[in-house]
Amino acid sequence: MGSKKYRGLARMKEAFFLDGQFRAGVIGIIILLIIVVAAPLLATHNPYEYGPDNLVAPGVNGHWLGTNHMGQDVYSMIIYGVRTSLQVALISSLISGVLGILVGGIAGYFGGKVDLVISEVINAFLMIPTFFLILLIVALFGNSITNVMIVIGITSWPGNAKLMRAQALSLRERTFVKSAIAMGETRMQIMFKYILPNGVFPVVANTTRGMAGAILTEAGLSFLGLGDPSIISWGQMIYAGQDYITVGWWVSAFGGVAIILTVIVFYLLGDGLNHVLNPKYSFDKGGK
Amino acid sequence: MTKYVIRRIFSGLLTALIVFTLNFIIIKAAPGDPIKTLMGKDTNDPVLRAALEEKWGLNEPEYVQYFNYLTNALRGDLGTSIIYNQSVASMIGSRWGPTVLLGLVAAILALLIGTFLGIFAAQHEGGIMDGLFSMVSYALDAMPPFWLGLMLMIVFASRLGWLPTNGMTDVRAGYTGFAYVLDVARHMVLPCLTLTLVSIPGYFRIAKSSVLQVSNEDFITTLRATGMSERKIFDKYIFRNAILPTITLFGITMAFLITGITLIEIVFSWPGMGRLTMTAINQRDYPALMGIYLVVAICVSVVMIIVDIVYALFDPRIRYD
Amino acid sequence: METVLEVKDLCVTYQNKSRSVYAVKDVSFSINQGDSLGIVGESGSGKSTLAMAILRLLPPKTAKVTGEAYFQGKELLTLDDASLREIRWKHLAVVFQKAMNALSPVHRISTQIEDIYRQHEPKATRQEIRQRSQELFQMVGLPDRVYRLYPHEMSGGMLQRVAIAISLLHSPQLLIFDEATTALDVVTQGQILEEVVRLEKALNTTRIMITHDMSVVSASCTKTAVMYAGQMMEIGQTRDVLKRPMHPYTQGLLHSFPTLTGERKTLESIPGSLPDLSVEHAGCVFAPRCPFATDRCHAKRPAARQMEDGRTVACWRYGGESDG
Repeated sequence: MGSKKYRGLARMKEAFFLDGQFRAGVIGIIILLIIVVAAPLLATHNPYEYGPDNLVAPGVNGHWLGTNHMGQDVYSMIIYGVRTSLQVALISSLISGVLGILVGGIAGYFGGKVDLVISEVINAFLMIPTFFLILLIVALFGNSITNVMIVIGITSWPGNAKLMRAQALSLRERTFVKSAIAMGETRMQIMFKYILPNGVFPVVANTTRGMAGAILTEAGLSFLGLGDPSIISWGQMIYAGQDYITVGWWVSAFGGVAIILTVIVFYLLGDGLNHVLNPKYSFDKGGK
Repeated sequence: MTKYVIRRIFSGLLTALIVFTLNFIIIKAAPGDPIKTLMGKDTNDPVLRAALEEKWGLNEPEYVQYFNYLTNALRGDLGTSIIYNQSVASMIGSRWGPTVLLGLVAAILALLIGTFLGIFAAQHEGGIMDGLFSMVSYALDAMPPFWLGLMLMIVFASRLGWLPTNGMTDVRAGYTGFAYVLDVARHMVLPCLTLTLVSIPGYFRIAKSSVLQVSNEDFITTLRATGMSERKIFDKYIFRNAILPTITLFGITMAFLITGITLIEIVFSWPGMGRLTMTAINQRDYPALMGIYLVVAICVSVVMIIVDIVYALFDPRIRYD
Repeated sequence: METVLEVKDLCVTYQNKSRSVYAVKDVSFSINQGDSLGIVGESGSGKSTLAMAILRLLPPKTAKVTGEAYFQGKELLTLDDASLREIRWKHLAVVFQKAMNALSPVHRISTQIEDIYRQHEPKATRQEIRQRSQELFQMVGLPDRVYRLYPHEMSGGMLQRVAIAISLLHSPQLLIFDEATTALDVVTQGQILEEVVRLEKALNTTRIMITHDMSVVSASCTKTAVMYAGQMMEIGQTRDVLKRPMHPYTQGLLHSFPTLTGERKTLESIPGSLPDLSVEHAGCVFAPRCPFATDRCHAKRPAARQMEDGRTVACWRYGGESDG
């Protein structure tokens, strides 16, 4: 297993140099992380502060991207909004990843009736329009950012569970797992020592795409007025700018651009990771 | 085939049951008194309270309450919106039409355009157009639908003034007959365009990848070796095989579509379920919200089951399983 | 005897952004009417690529093909599309390895057969085609009901027979079997090979059999060609090549199979592995693994030389001070 991991790292390195998507994703995420850390240095204003200039156009009075109706600096809000977006992306997909891996791992590894029941439930959950469930819960339980993250996390696990189940099903037939069973290791040991660590990579790639989904969901909630009013988020910028769209297009427009760019970074990273994980994918052919 | 249909219907019922149960758990677990939740924040009528307690059997054990909730919903009683003093079922009943109209037109347009472009990109793989389409598809996929709607509104309605910004008809003009239809169509252009644009990437990607995949299958090589023309190979064999994932996708994207519609309806003040949702959120009208969730979830699973059955007609491998 | 196919200096190079792979290099051979030629080699030896090149089925973007291949006097590699389609299946048919994927999964066998048959007989009625298929199904030992089935309703062996029946629709002069029996169990493979040989005699067709399995060749081919790393090592009558292999690679290959006569011998594998095909080799491509290799073998590629018994061998051990 040690050698497998090593090969994985080597392949990632190869991917970084040869796969444009993966490279763009990695660079994008590094830039986003730098913005998170250096937000106070990068921002020109305090984004929480209501300045004297209401709805000034981009470029006026040192507001690079203009201000909103309360006089907040749009550029600085976008810089600080990275923190919110990454936080939502990370925490909610961590929750959905862990839940998916556990549920899918149990279904796939134990098989039989357990698998039958869990698979049926996973499929049923995949059919549920999650967004309505999320907005119902957030409306009832309160719209703090913590609630939003948790709810997105606990409603988006079925996709991960499905992937993990397939992984566990195939891993269970592999020789090293069979020999572990023959050596008398317990089911729990096998599950946590062999099945989960070896099957987790496709889920990681899927979760990366899930992070993009979480960012979009948070924006959607904000647009319905269910965002956390005490923080700065791009979705809320679009929501708040909506009423002033004819006189100050920049508030909504730039908030949306920030979302699109961030989501694309996660898509690129997710697709790139899929290329890394797919042994059939050859980087120098640039596809297939 | 019968077995397959029964299985699909069973998972549909299971989905509905899970949605019911989630709804029930959510009301019970929500902070505060469930009756208060159902009555709405600003109402405090003791008569109403007593009536609700009676209806939900709040003094009975939990499983009786759950059963009550289930039977009420099965009878079509989704509760009453206290704020509008109207049954939730009738509120939804008067609003679903515009939503279905918008969703159906956009879904079909997205399916046709996305699939067509995907096939084109696959046939010209690696070309300039393929690269361009793929990039645009990536960007569209990353766009929040409501944001795209706003931007289209700024450009085409506010700036250029070509199209109306909101509503489904011009109420003041009072059109009738064909003029009315035309007016609705004009109002529909922007919301429909938005929804179509955000739905295209899925169809584009799946059409492109499955055409590429099927083109590499051995039976295509065999057909080529028989001297069959590329055109016929594509029209009859590649297309027929490559279209299968698209049908599945049409079902899977229903949930995504309904979310998109909701948000876009709000942007364009389209008088459908999305508007209803927005008002319900603003008024904290929980019975309405739960009713909407229930109806939407059931409609989505019904559509998905129908799509799955249609799929089976196209794929003999499923029919005989 | 009339020559059906003559291949001269055929080369196939796979190209992508960063490198070229010389998959087939300077292969020449010919095959006469009624002959059956087995092309054997390890996986990666270029034998399937060779067949695909002759059939013009390689993707033109990534595979560069040079050389000549004359089929009934027509040069296949430069033939225009219309004439090529006229020849395909009517005179030159192929059966591929994976029968499971050789037919469209969502069309009935009947639909596919009708389409393929009408390629050359556009006016044929359903009844005619049905009747022709019935004859062929009977020949390959398939029940009639198969005609109405979908591919997933049949076993691998049945599908392979269907693929063979389809290849015989127009009684082609030349039939190429690309690992067509590899995926089958030994019993089914034996049955099918027997039928193929029998059919061939009845229809007087010529056959090329691509395989990595020596026993398939010995059971069903009159001539044998041995390929290694994209090059032809030895071609001759099957009985000569298998009984008295001359090329060191053929000898090694035969040592790694159980003997056909049942003699007890230790099985040996050839030490080393396939050479890197993305670089051009100055000397004999087998030299690095050859037990008899000399300096000359490493320095210069041996030309193919004709032996007294009619076979051709490309090895410095069998004469030739002359150039290659």
